[in-house]
Amino acid sequence: MNHLSDLHLDALAEVFSIGAGRAALSLSEIVGDEVRISVPSVQVVNSEDINSTTLSLNSGRFGAVNQHFSGPFNAEAVLLFTEDQALKIVSDMMGSQMSLEELAEFEHEAMCELGNIILNACLSAMADIFNFTLESSLPDYTVASADEILHRLKEDANQPYVMILHIDLTIEKRHTAGNLVFLLSSASLTNLVAHVDQFIGRFS
Amino acid sequence: MSEISAKRFDMEDIFNALNLGIIVVDAVGKVLLWNNWISKHSGIQEADALNHQLENVFPEPISPAFLTALNNTLTYRLPVVLSTALHRTPLPLYHASEVNQQQTRMYQSISITPIQSNLNESCCLIQVTDSSTSIKREKILRSHSEILKKEAITDGLTDICNRRFFDAHYEMAVADAKRQKHPLSIFMVDIDFFKSYNDFYGHVAGDTVIKQVAVALKSQLSRATDIVARYGGEEFVLVMPHLPKKVAEQFAEKLRNAAFNLAIPHMKAAPFNQITISVGVCTGIPENDSNLLNKADAALYQAKLKGRNQCISLPLCEAEEYLQQ
Amino acid sequence: MFADSSIKKLLIVDDSKVSRMLIRTHILARHPEWIISEAACGEEAIALVDSELPDYCTMDINMPGISGTDAAEQILSQHPSVKIVIFTANIQETHQVRAHSLGTILVAKPVTEKSIALTLNHFKDSE
Repeated sequence: MNHLSDLHLDALAEVFSIGAGRAALSLSEIVGDEVRISVPSVQVVNSEDINSTTLSLNSGRFGAVNQHFSGPFNAEAVLLFTEDQALKIVSDMMGSQMSLEELAEFEHEAMCELGNIILNACLSAMADIFNFTLESSLPDYTVASADEILHRLKEDANQPYVMILHIDLTIEKRHTAGNLVFLLSSASLTNLVAHVDQFIGRFS
Repeated sequence: MSEISAKRFDMEDIFNALNLGIIVVDAVGKVLLWNNWISKHSGIQEADALNHQLENVFPEPISPAFLTALNNTLTYRLPVVLSTALHRTPLPLYHASEVNQQQTRMYQSISITPIQSNLNESCCLIQVTDSSTSIKREKILRSHSEILKKEAITDGLTDICNRRFFDAHYEMAVADAKRQKHPLSIFMVDIDFFKSYNDFYGHVAGDTVIKQVAVALKSQLSRATDIVARYGGEEFVLVMPHLPKKVAEQFAEKLRNAAFNLAIPHMKAAPFNQITISVGVCTGIPENDSNLLNKADAALYQAKLKGRNQCISLPLCEAEEYLQQ
Repeated sequence: MFADSSIKKLLIVDDSKVSRMLIRTHILARHPEWIISEAACGEEAIALVDSELPDYCTMDINMPGISGTDAAEQILSQHPSVKIVIFTANIQETHQVRAHSLGTILVAKPVTEKSIALTLNHFKDSE
């Protein structure tokens, strides 16, 4: 079960663009300026096939916000930004004159909130559109190297599939690109696809 | 919670002993639990909070972001965090001694988690921690770095900008002038016969002269866009945008007069026998290959050659010079 | 059954095939006689309005090429009688304001009975 049709991917992209729209609304209320978030592409691949190119992970360190969620399907969601970008996002959102070094103090909590806003918006859009309820853990934030992140994404044999959403985020004229990665078991992927089928099937 | 431990402790005692705020609300936002920490920091007793809508319990408004978050948690059953960094003080909570006095609100970190009651109702657990200490740490860090930043750009002797600041500022000022096509003036200033002053009066006196001249130059500046920096030794540099060439030349004269009027005796400086300065100024709209600083320096050199205690102005490009002749 | 049973022409503009499909299905469920055309970007929409002369149009905002609001503005300058609804996930105030300034309304996705009803109401109200 690793073949999703273009229509499946289009449906998922649409669901996540609705999530992105909600996240942008919440973030714009915090920063008091327009925030643009788009999800230009959705990919589903075997976790063994992911590498630094799939996730555009170049060198440097990355900030990762994690949330585990469960319901009709279980998954671990990871939102990835480079650490530099993460700090810049936080500093833009706080609108303060702190230097990046000082911001590190607040990076953890603020990134948790940013990730939480984006992840919850995506999950709530799925819940609305696919008509189900998901439960989720509180977000966690870690900073790691590209290798450490890839290792973690691949190590769990129970979650052999990854759904990758490329995310473009623009806050106050600063453009940032990140990835939202969902780690899925095969059963969860099957369930997710079944929901997408049901959703498309209702109309086609 | 196992049955034995549930019997050994009264859960309420534990809630009330916690060093963080705990509120539980039901699906419509009515308060079901209100621990001592919250009472202490809100000044509102449990009895006055229970079974009331959370937003009506406080005498002051709750932040809209908090209400949105609570509503989202109730609707989608997804946990939400509100960070101190982005929200500061969502709930009207104060430090214990300050309740009901006109004090500032406590900085908070909040998480809102969906929970299920034994009656199968959808409820929300709100946890509040005091993040004032981390905010204080931030403020200390911030002011510390401001001091560091100031030290990094200030000349230790004269308290005006140092060379490092000038280099960065000059680059930006030139780029600005280029972009907006407005004139920029650079003044190079040198104290005349300073070496002989040092040799005759000593280095301590020499340093005092440098300080006095720096103050005199600085006192001529009134616009926020203008800077004076110590370029090195007894040399100073001023950067001033938006001056017509004529005005810049008059200003150079003002600088020369300001130093002259200090009337610092200098026995080894004929013919005035006092401290004077020479000024080279260059005004123009910078283009790609033009160098205001070099021109101002060349002007200063001419002022020295022509006998010191004077100002020389050079145009930025030769064409302008030609037109003026 | 319908107050206005005349045949209307609707243009659906959305880069998502699924979205176009959903809007089409919902609309046809209520107005099976309507004639529906689709465009996947703003440029295509502008060309189609010239040839199809639709009565109504639903317009997404975030699409490849020009934005839906820009496309709507261009369409309305040429064909002021077309009734347009901005149907989008991008629901920030700036877009609401822009939609209103164009004389259109902004309806939030997802495509549901409710959002389709809001869309149809706007079409009928502005007759």
